[in-house]
Amino acid sequence: MNRSRLLRVLALTVAGVVGLGGLGACGDSGGVGGGKNADQATTKDGEKVTLRYWTWFPPEATLRATIAAFERDNPTIKIELRIFEAADYQKQLPLALNGGENLDVVGVQVSAMTNSVREQLRPVSEWEKNLPAGWHDKLAAGPVKQAETSAKDGKLYTIPMGSLGSAVMLYNAAMLADLGIAVPKTADELAAAAAKVRAAKPDVTPVVFSGEPYWQEEMLFTIAGQSSPTLSDDVFAGRKAWNSPEMVMALTQYKSLFDKGIVGTDVLSLKGGRPAELFTGGKAAFYVDGSWQSSMLSESYRKANKIELADVGAAAFPVVAGGKPAARAFAEGGLGIPKKSTHVAQAAKFVEYMTMGKGVDSWGKDLVLVPTAKSYTADGSVLTSKAARDGYAAITTVINTAGSARDSNQSFLNQVEGNAILDVLRGQSTPQAAADKLQAEWTSGRYTAK
Amino acid sequence: MNSRNAPVTAAVGGARPVRARHATSPRRRRRGSFVGVAALFLAPLLLIYAVYYLYAFGFLAKTSTTRSTLSFGDATDVGWENFRLVLTDEVFWRSVANNLLFAAVSIAVALTLGFFLAVVLSSGVRLRRFFYAVFLLPSLIPLSLFATVFGRMLETRDGAVNATLRTVGLGSLAQDWLGEEGPAYAALFVLLVYLIGLPIMYYTSDLATANTTILESALLDGANTRQMYRLILFPLLRNTHKTVILSVLLGSFRAFDVVFFSTKGDPGGRTGITGTYVYNAMLGEGRVGYASAAAVLVLVIALLVSLIHLLAQRRGR
Repeated sequence: MNRSRLLRVLALTVAGVVGLGGLGACGDSGGVGGGKNADQATTKDGEKVTLRYWTWFPPEATLRATIAAFERDNPTIKIELRIFEAADYQKQLPLALNGGENLDVVGVQVSAMTNSVREQLRPVSEWEKNLPAGWHDKLAAGPVKQAETSAKDGKLYTIPMGSLGSAVMLYNAAMLADLGIAVPKTADELAAAAAKVRAAKPDVTPVVFSGEPYWQEEMLFTIAGQSSPTLSDDVFAGRKAWNSPEMVMALTQYKSLFDKGIVGTDVLSLKGGRPAELFTGGKAAFYVDGSWQSSMLSESYRKANKIELADVGAAAFPVVAGGKPAARAFAEGGLGIPKKSTHVAQAAKFVEYMTMGKGVDSWGKDLVLVPTAKSYTADGSVLTSKAARDGYAAITTVINTAGSARDSNQSFLNQVEGNAILDVLRGQSTPQAAADKLQAEWTSGRYTAK
Repeated sequence: MNSRNAPVTAAVGGARPVRARHATSPRRRRRGSFVGVAALFLAPLLLIYAVYYLYAFGFLAKTSTTRSTLSFGDATDVGWENFRLVLTDEVFWRSVANNLLFAAVSIAVALTLGFFLAVVLSSGVRLRRFFYAVFLLPSLIPLSLFATVFGRMLETRDGAVNATLRTVGLGSLAQDWLGEEGPAYAALFVLLVYLIGLPIMYYTSDLATANTTILESALLDGANTRQMYRLILFPLLRNTHKTVILSVLLGSFRAFDVVFFSTKGDPGGRTGITGTYVYNAMLGEGRVGYASAAAVLVLVIALLVSLIHLLAQRRGR
């Protein structure tokens, strides 16, 4: 075989493969439009059924303990758990369901994932007959409604375990007590507290939060929500423009935290888990994050995680320029049943246990979510100090009275919005210029709203 | 040009020796049969490789003309719209420019510092193994880990870089590394300099097979160190330069982890590259088609860059 002949053979091989590739690409690309419901398996009395459960929440230790309690109460059901990292899960679950993975119960990030998996899930209306009569009344209406409206077709596919809200402010209660600082309710009070901390403890950063783009939206709409509670909903729904006067005002007010010296631009270099690391290490007095950090209010949690803070409290983020405390909140931890499940009755029993049954008391102790179940009350053994009790009450209140949903357009946030806000905070752009840029990009067609 | 019998002129970039052409010599026929055997052994692997890449590319190309979620179940055809949107996005073009800029910096560093260090280390300097470890380690450990540590060092208040500057009395040089464009680029350039381990390895392996008689001749002719570097060694490693340039150039399109885990594109996304652009484009609902279009365009740009490089090489021969 001479070289030219070899080249011809190779060219034909490659051409054939290109054809295959083209055929493959033009064929069924995995999108099966949801498929049909699987037939139900028949089980004899006393026969054990294994349910395959995928989720990312709550933490594994909590889940295992909750599942063990469920299995004790339901000896004929075994739960086979697989747990993921949150960001990874957003990609893994849709691909797995689409690829025909036989799962019985799945956790769904209500805002971020509902529409990418709903075609592979059974609407709740199909399996609510397996739930107790009047199950709706056992749950807070708000989060259930949010789970329903998050789906493009307006159907309820998952039952939310609880709600998350942001931004809220944790504080080192022991440090504030030592310095004689009262919990700040306004930005001016926070500025005074920050000045006191700086003077007394030069190695402590008064206020920390994440400098990553995604977090800037949380801060912006928390501050905006204090005077315009529905601004976030209005902007994302297209009822208000990104360069509306309210948005320009919100950007200006957020920037004022830096102008007043409450926060330094050095805080914006904190990434990942660094703000939490500084706070738990006693190197920050105030830590602004989401309600999912409420676990830090628990003394047992702090001990288990070797956090050497004597006492931690929480509060709504101080009011910057009038209005009242605010946060954005949204249903989270939705539990759904895939179409492929052959054990719907048993899966529904497990969903009931986790969302409105005894399981809530088990995972609720983590304080990560404010449970949807109306019957839930915070465990007194978890919140051992006044600061912790008041803090949890403040977080619950601000979540239950949220004026806007904790919604987002992730691509827009990561490519444009977060960076535009950061430019304002660093003085590299004016609030008006940033708002105009946001509006121009929002209407460019690149970031299609839900 | 590593043959010990090669004329010195060839080693220093002079005229290449003319080979006699024998159209159908027995030697050529023998070589043809060798090529056939080689092709036979290569064919299965080549087929798997081609299917894997070409099918993936076909799938990507098809997805790029749709608007769909990761479920791929509700895809709607949008034709070339995704490509139009990507091509009119200034953030995309900035990321491409950053890719090329970082590649240019990496190449410049590899061809100068990398080459110099490789020669020095090959010349029997003391503690050679220690220095090899120092220079190669960043290239051998996972880049994500290395870049994460580096990113942490850049923190404004408690980062190791500013802390060190303050400790040695150079506090005035402390920067908001991730908050200003100039310092952020400078920080990334430093990171890229740290990653010259592989070019050093390429040069070292080629230097080991270099024709030492040329160097001896140059020494006898009275060449000084500078002349030895400039006129003898640098041209002698011409083929290695080509390998280094191409690998660094294409490597820059795969440098997602370097940027993502160090600056994360800060400040304001200005140090982002095509990898971080595609990653961010993937996030969110119904963005798979758009991200696929961006990925296809990045692939086309990378191929064009490679083509330009190959053509430039041919013209340089």
